[in-house]
Amino acid sequence: MSDLHLDLKNLIIDALGLEDISVDDIDNDAPLFGEGLGLDSVDALELGLAVQKHFSIKIDADSKDVRQHFASINALANFVASKQ
Amino acid sequence: MKFNISAWRAWAPGLSTQEDWLGWLADPQQLSSQDAADVSFLPAMQRRRLSPLARMAFHVAWPLAEQSPKQPVVFCSRHGETLRNLNLLKQMAEQEILSPTHFSLSVHNAIIGLWSIFRQDESEMTAIAATQDGLEHAVIEAQLLLSSGADSVLLIIAEEQQPELYLPWIKDVPFAYALALQLTRGDAWSLSLSLSKEPSILKKQAWPHALSLLPLLLKQATQVTHSVDTRCWQWQVTL
Repeated sequence: MSDLHLDLKNLIIDALGLEDISVDDIDNDAPLFGEGLGLDSVDALELGLAVQKHFSIKIDADSKDVRQHFASINALANFVASKQ
Repeated sequence: MKFNISAWRAWAPGLSTQEDWLGWLADPQQLSSQDAADVSFLPAMQRRRLSPLARMAFHVAWPLAEQSPKQPVVFCSRHGETLRNLNLLKQMAEQEILSPTHFSLSVHNAIIGLWSIFRQDESEMTAIAATQDGLEHAVIEAQLLLSSGADSVLLIIAEEQQPELYLPWIKDVPFAYALALQLTRGDAWSLSLSLSKEPSILKKQAWPHALSLLPLLLKQATQVTHSVDTRCWQWQVTL
């Protein structure tokens, strides 16, 4: 697991208060929302904010690609890497 | 007005069962612990968004609701989500972007909203904030729901430990507490209001007012009075 992947998993656990989940429970390829981790729309907003703050990047909420970028840990890691 | 109280539960840091409360009443002490109310009966995904206030409310009310079918809820808190709101104000002052979770759960009816979702209960639910006689106003609200056909109403009153910054102005919350009462139609309990000419002077309270019902609930006393401004409330129970 890369540092970025690990960093993202810890960010998700902290920002969304997932007290009984550890980084090992989050699969890089599994969907973050709906099935998989089971996050909801409030989590989506919260995670978007946390990612912007933590990595000092800007996310255009109107962009159609946002949904893709937040689909899984792998997708999010690629997105963050491309913005840095 | 007359009603019955068919079940109740109270919580304060370190106190939760009837035995705990009997012990505390024998020698009432200020409670300073920061313990959070236990809500381990909820799945972690639901629990994670609950504030200390919401945890207290769920802790006292959930077991009462498990005994009954769906029922209306009256939630009362004078100060509400003070901790969440103060944190949001601090973040605004720092010109930070506000947390969507904290923002959406900072309103006064957030707790009954979560209650309704978690319990899948679409009954009528009301959140009120009144002054130091919020409890009595909540009973009026509950009485109205009983009169319009509800078989029982769950009344929850709760206050969290208030932030240091606000303490000079807060006289009615010496420590965090929550009380849940299940009200039904009946005449064992009565609550009446009389008005005095002179307003009573607001003193800093040693105990939260809601907890002064405990001796009645535990059959150690049959009446208690509570004066706020010119309103004088009298609670009475026939044993």
